[in-house]
Amino acid sequence: MPEIITGYFTVGWQQIVLLNVLCVAVASGALSPLIVSNRMGFFSDAIAHSTLAGVALGLLLGINPVTSMIGAGIVVALLIAAMRQRSGLSVDALLGVALAGSLAVGVILYHYASGFADMHAYLFGRLTFLDGGDLIAVGGAGLLSLIVVGLYSNQFALLAVSRPLARSRGVKAARYDFVLIVLLGLVVSVCVRAVGLLLVNALMIIPAATSKNFARSYRGMCWGAMIVSVLASVGGLFLGGAFSIPEGPAMVVLGVALFMVSYFWRMAGHGPGDV
Amino acid sequence: MSEPVLSLEGVSVEIGGRKLVENVSFTLGAGELVALIGPNGAGKTTLLRAILGELRFSGHIHLHGKIGYVPQRLAFDRSLPMTVLEFLALSVQRRPLALGVAARVRQSVGAMLERVGGASLLHKPLGGLSGGELQRVLLASALERKPALLLLDEPAAGVDIEGEAAFNELILREVREHQCAAILVSHDLSVVADMTDRVLCINRVLMCEGKADDLLTAETIARVFGGHKAVYDHHRPVPHVHEHGHDHRHEH
Repeated sequence: MPEIITGYFTVGWQQIVLLNVLCVAVASGALSPLIVSNRMGFFSDAIAHSTLAGVALGLLLGINPVTSMIGAGIVVALLIAAMRQRSGLSVDALLGVALAGSLAVGVILYHYASGFADMHAYLFGRLTFLDGGDLIAVGGAGLLSLIVVGLYSNQFALLAVSRPLARSRGVKAARYDFVLIVLLGLVVSVCVRAVGLLLVNALMIIPAATSKNFARSYRGMCWGAMIVSVLASVGGLFLGGAFSIPEGPAMVVLGVALFMVSYFWRMAGHGPGDV
Repeated sequence: MSEPVLSLEGVSVEIGGRKLVENVSFTLGAGELVALIGPNGAGKTTLLRAILGELRFSGHIHLHGKIGYVPQRLAFDRSLPMTVLEFLALSVQRRPLALGVAARVRQSVGAMLERVGGASLLHKPLGGLSGGELQRVLLASALERKPALLLLDEPAAGVDIEGEAAFNELILREVREHQCAAILVSHDLSVVADMTDRVLCINRVLMCEGKADDLLTAETIARVFGGHKAVYDHHRPVPHVHEHGHDHRHEH
């Protein structure tokens, strides 16, 4: 086994990177079924794209960029949710505007704040630079994701099946949308540090999109998403080390490969709807 | 009649400046099955949503007990992997589905499915059910809450005629045996006439209310449906109604 991989179990800074990656995997693995089944994928993408503006704003204002990044993600997501609720506009149009708009504003702000940091790191992530401070952030995000999923996943599942039915059972749809958006804002922003804003959404979508093709039950989809998430994340980290390729993209490529396997499995007639 | 399960007093619903339901009043007792009929856009579903508490309304709605709701044609992502057991467990257990269905819930859900003639559906995927099977599962899900009031929004829409008759019989049996009140939204007058105790005809306002046989006259139908409705009844001779304009109507 290459030294760089064994190092993830023995060398201090590498152990911290591995722990960071595991926490990212747990957070995205836990949230992915909620995002995919409630069709919130575009939200997490818009949040990711708004983080650049958040970071740049933090740098310009002289406040902690991680704080302003999380704040920007949540504010943009809530704005989209409020606009959708008030106007009845279609989500894809609204999100398309928000996604491009927040990225453009981010690049302009970044232009003024340049010299402080490397934009490339925000676009594609710097996995191997993750440190103890990041571990606290992603660890917290992972824990919070597990708590929310543990408490409310049945309500989210019912909302995913039918919102009118869920409402008739006293599930306040707007309240749960809010919870999921805020949580997404937090988790996506934190994970951007690892894989970058252009790729982070893949971590949110691929796990459940893949396990959905294999699973025959909601339970199976949830555990499957967690397994795919951990496999792709840790596998990508090791592949990156072994072949000297960027780890973030390696994670995503591995996830996409797993998704393709599930896709062909489903197309071959093994899918959940074909029983 | 003992204390009514549901009573509406002067209920109006206004959305975007348009009055969709206006000044509707009626009461409903335990064990009573009423039909709510009216043309498309008459405010039937709007009235149900007001009763469900989903829409703001003026007037008063008094309800004693829980509501079991069977929606009209449940549109959902059929590729979502979820078994019927999981779907029925969703609203009765706190434990997340990822940790499995509690043995107690498994038992009660199984019994409920058996009650609606769907015992064999327990482990089937929700997305693979036929229209009729899905309606049984939705009815089981509504009954699971031990409702005082069942709201059925055209529950048999999209089900074949035999399936619809069987499903309606099931509803009637539940209402009688478990003494819950039920409102059945329908536009199929022949079905309504056969099984319900009372018919409420709505077209924004409550047009008329009474026993099906007394109400199902050509004149009432023309009044409620605005005259653009031709009625073909397989069970009893109801006159066909045509209308050529709002003021001028004649019967065949």
